[in-house]
Amino acid sequence: MTFPPNPTSASAVVGDRLRIVSRPGIAALLKALTMPVVVAAFATYLLVGIFTMRVPSSADFPGPQFFPAIITVGLFAFAIALAVAGVREVRSLPDPHVAELLAAESGEEAPAEPRAVRIDVRSFLWIIVSFFAFALLLDVLGWVIAAGLLFWCVARGFGSAKPLASLVVGLTMSSLAYIGFDMVLGLPLPSGILGGF
Amino acid sequence: MDALQMLGEGFLGALTPINLMWVLIGCVLGTAVGVLPGLGSSMAVALLLPITFSLDPTAAFIMFAGVYFGGLFGDSTMGILMNTPGQASAIASTFEGHKMALNGRAAQALATAAIGAFIGGFVACIVLVFLAPALADFSSRFGPAEFFALAVFAFAATSSVVTDNALKGLTALFIGLGIAVIGVDGVSGAPRFTMDSPYLFDGVSLVTVTVGILALGEVIYVACLERHTSDKKMLRPKGRPWLSRKDLREATPAWLRGTAIGLPFGVIPAGGSEIPTFLAYGLEKRLDARRPHPQFGKGAIRGLAAPEAAGNSTTGMAMGALLALGLPISATAAIMLAAFRQYGLQPGPLLFDRAPDLVWALLASFFIAMVVLLILNLPFAMLWAKLLLIPRPYLFAGITVFCALGIYATSGSLVDLLILLGIGVLGFLLRALDFPLAPLIIGMVLGPLAETSLRDAAMSANGDFSILVHSPISIGLYVVLAVVLAFAIRGRIVARSRARATASSGDRATEAAVR
Repeated sequence: MTFPPNPTSASAVVGDRLRIVSRPGIAALLKALTMPVVVAAFATYLLVGIFTMRVPSSADFPGPQFFPAIITVGLFAFAIALAVAGVREVRSLPDPHVAELLAAESGEEAPAEPRAVRIDVRSFLWIIVSFFAFALLLDVLGWVIAAGLLFWCVARGFGSAKPLASLVVGLTMSSLAYIGFDMVLGLPLPSGILGGF
Repeated sequence: MDALQMLGEGFLGALTPINLMWVLIGCVLGTAVGVLPGLGSSMAVALLLPITFSLDPTAAFIMFAGVYFGGLFGDSTMGILMNTPGQASAIASTFEGHKMALNGRAAQALATAAIGAFIGGFVACIVLVFLAPALADFSSRFGPAEFFALAVFAFAATSSVVTDNALKGLTALFIGLGIAVIGVDGVSGAPRFTMDSPYLFDGVSLVTVTVGILALGEVIYVACLERHTSDKKMLRPKGRPWLSRKDLREATPAWLRGTAIGLPFGVIPAGGSEIPTFLAYGLEKRLDARRPHPQFGKGAIRGLAAPEAAGNSTTGMAMGALLALGLPISATAAIMLAAFRQYGLQPGPLLFDRAPDLVWALLASFFIAMVVLLILNLPFAMLWAKLLLIPRPYLFAGITVFCALGIYATSGSLVDLLILLGIGVLGFLLRALDFPLAPLIIGMVLGPLAETSLRDAAMSANGDFSILVHSPISIGLYVVLAVVLAFAIRGRIVARSRARATASSGDRATEAAVR
């Protein structure tokens, strides 16, 4: 197991550090610019909000726009700084062919740490799409069926090989949760199409 | 001995059969979630928070005390048995703990961790009982300017000092601050950033953000990245988890030293218990090197005992900072703050006056939870380890369903589920691109406090911002912050030049020595 020089920077939950690899060129640039774009988009949303805000005339300085304005400025600045740092990093990446040649020459493999992985798009989609569908269909299908299906889809996204078994486990779990929370603790969960009985 | 009398009354309130049952349930759930792979104690608290909303406040907080400390007891199990710490604060325990397990002393390692967690937490609770009222008293002198200074301190410490990339830390912090300003403005009543949608008038709930960032983000992260790389085998603990007298003699000073190191960090807003665990580990390692037969590297019991005790004493004290100042120093404490708010309680100096029954019952239940956890963990550590055998697809599918359950049960709205999904994706991006998560949560929690106190202070002085640095307390806070920042920058420069020296000479031995 490897540890970064400052271990507290490891993600809050998993202490292990992974690095997404991407092919140099477009993909690396995409990876470097993802966060700047997300941050800038959020900052733009705040900026539009600040200008369209209906401020009550009674509000004294500093009004409701003051603090968000600081945040917006900060977010834009960080987005630019992140983008600059990202682009610089991509530029400094060695050309893939050169890197291969160098590796072959020195007879050594590239350093293996941090462990390099690629994003598994299929797993990503399984989870995102199923959760989205779950949120939309929950009222129609009811908790037991919708949550059971969500369980099955996520298990599938994790590469579960036994579809029938995971469906049984999922439905058992969702039913138990329904009994425990809706009936015992009194947290309302939708019964959906099963509620007709 | 006012505090003792109040604590006695707290025990009377907490020791009813029904409350004992809540403590027990909280401890069992907390330990279980803490033990599970990929789920640290902060996630245990985030996931179990929604369940408690259907209980009355006292029962809910008593159960929460169990979850809070239960997660900590469980944290190190994964690290010891599989060499994958459940969260950052368990990393330091993993070094020697896993080596002990490799030497066939897994059961003893689990016992050492459990007793260390117990001692650290218990001592912290005792200190807390006497310190918290005094701290609350002190902080009742705080005005908006002081609270703003405290918030700035927490922001700077969590986003810049304890992360290795200040830019990423600050970005995460500002995203959190930005999410927090959505909703109706508390001071002027103007709706902000709501797109005129009634769903956003109350803002994005802190529970949704924490569950999305810590739990759902983690699920997506593990699904897309982490599961393709880990091939860790679990060591089955064998034998009896009892420590021999020799072990106890070895570990006791380390437990106590670790506790002492951890205590002060509980009231410093510096991101939780990671730093003290590493300090405790480093101290034990240095002390060990002076002994005739150094044990470190071969599974030294002290290297496990000290960080465990340090981590838990920090976490225990963090509750003091939360109750008395209303200041969460870690992500876990931030979620606890959300729990208080859910019941309309604002932790801080006034809490001890307004809801003394609740506070003292909560403090008393910390002690009860500690004892219950020791009983649950010491003899049954092997049983808990069995939880690690749950197949990963089912485990994470279950977590996903649980996230959805918690959010839907608290809000009853499908929009919140969609927001949860969006924030989960954001959490995944942050995690995958190596952004720290704690600053986001701290920003989300303390953002409103910072904003209202900033505006209150400025309004009371007719828009003059110099009021922020008028009182000795706030000046003191800024000075401390400046000193801390100076040290952090100096440390970073030293580390960088050292790294450069290592890299240029290519000398592996130096690197090993630094570690």
